Amino acid sequence: MDNRKLQDKSIDIVRPKVACHGNQQFQVLASIDDEQRCIAQVKQGSQTAFHSLYQQHHKRIYALCWRMLADKDSAEDVCQEVFVVLWQKIAQFHGESKFSTWLHSVATNVILGHLRKHKNWLQRVFSIEQAEVSITEPKAALVDDSTLSLLDQHIVELPERARLVFVLFAVEGYRHEEIAQLLKMAVGSSKSQYHRARQLLKESLTAVGYSSITQEFEHE
Amino acid sequence: MNNDNLKESMIDNNKQKIEQMSDALLDKQTAELVPEITPQRDLWPGIERAINHQGQQPSAFNSRDLFMPSVWAASIAMIMLVSWVTLAPQHNPFMETRLVSHSTEVKANQAQLVAMMQQSFNQQKVSLRSSYGNPKIELLPIAMQTELSQLAKARVAITNALDNDENNVDLLNLLDFTQQQELTLLQQLYRQYQVI
Repeated sequence: MDNRKLQDKSIDIVRPKVACHGNQQFQVLASIDDEQRCIAQVKQGSQTAFHSLYQQHHKRIYALCWRMLADKDSAEDVCQEVFVVLWQKIAQFHGESKFSTWLHSVATNVILGHLRKHKNWLQRVFSIEQAEVSITEPKAALVDDSTLSLLDQHIVELPERARLVFVLFAVEGYRHEEIAQLLKMAVGSSKSQYHRARQLLKESLTAVGYSSITQEFEHE
Repeated sequence: MNNDNLKESMIDNNKQKIEQMSDALLDKQTAELVPEITPQRDLWPGIERAINHQGQQPSAFNSRDLFMPSVWAASIAMIMLVSWVTLAPQHNPFMETRLVSHSTEVKANQAQLVAMMQQSFNQQKVSLRSSYGNPKIELLPIAMQTELSQLAKARVAITNALDNDENNVDLLNLLDFTQQQELTLLQQLYRQYQVI
């Protein structure tokens, strides 16, 4: 599954037809050409053009941050950091790939950097232990946010490694080889973490239906 | 007994069906995940403030290149040190006599400067280590440990050379450069190997 490619296509389809002009406050980008023009303006230092890029992409980047960090406040902070890094590094974008794809890879690196920065090795040991516990212990309560889909609410309840691999593979469309490189793990570990994430998600998603069906048989 | 077996087999069959259904359900829900989520607060003002204080990097910059300077730094430092020791002018008694009136004062100032540089470097190193949870160097890969050790050796060699020639501005600059490279490499290594 390559959702990243699907997302890129969907950008083309749903992109609103408003051109990027320097003086408009909340303009969005009408086409790839407009986006390229905006990028060129940002490279020249135009904050207005940068605001257009932000308007166009920040919700997707926030969704990525939120799913990978599983925390609203951190997601907001890191989303801001992504755009600050984008401002600094946009000159390095030469159009070899789609801008959205490049931006997502920048965002992924910033998010992973944030995770590394805010966890020392001791905390990691604890998080691994907690992750092991979470396999056997059912979650007490899901994230209470009605704006999120049911699956999103379950994704953020996954153990960190499984969550990161699931989001990168199933949602962002990275290959296991790329994920292994990003997360400094073996390709096999990435695959097993993905399998684990799927199992945990399936268990949690079907918990109600599954128990009711098995109970029916037990009562017969 | 037969009824029990039948019941178990029916439950197993249904479990398999539920498993297949849950696979399909998960795939469907994953495909239907919304690509965009709106943050609750407006993030732009914070970004705007931050970018007003920061410039843009030139296109040639590549973060991957940050690892390479450590190797170059150690090499350059050693080459410059060896060149300086080899090519430095021989002692000139006449010049020595001319400079003798200032030598005590200058020596004291330069020695203080070297000590201050060393102290500042040590403080930065300690705060860097503590910000990453005091990781042990021994846990880094051997190749990285060797690189760090080479930089440290270069730094010590320059410091020793400065003991004999405190007035040498080139050596002071070289010490500063080596210290900064060591700190940069340490930071990169901590970030790189403090992995999930």
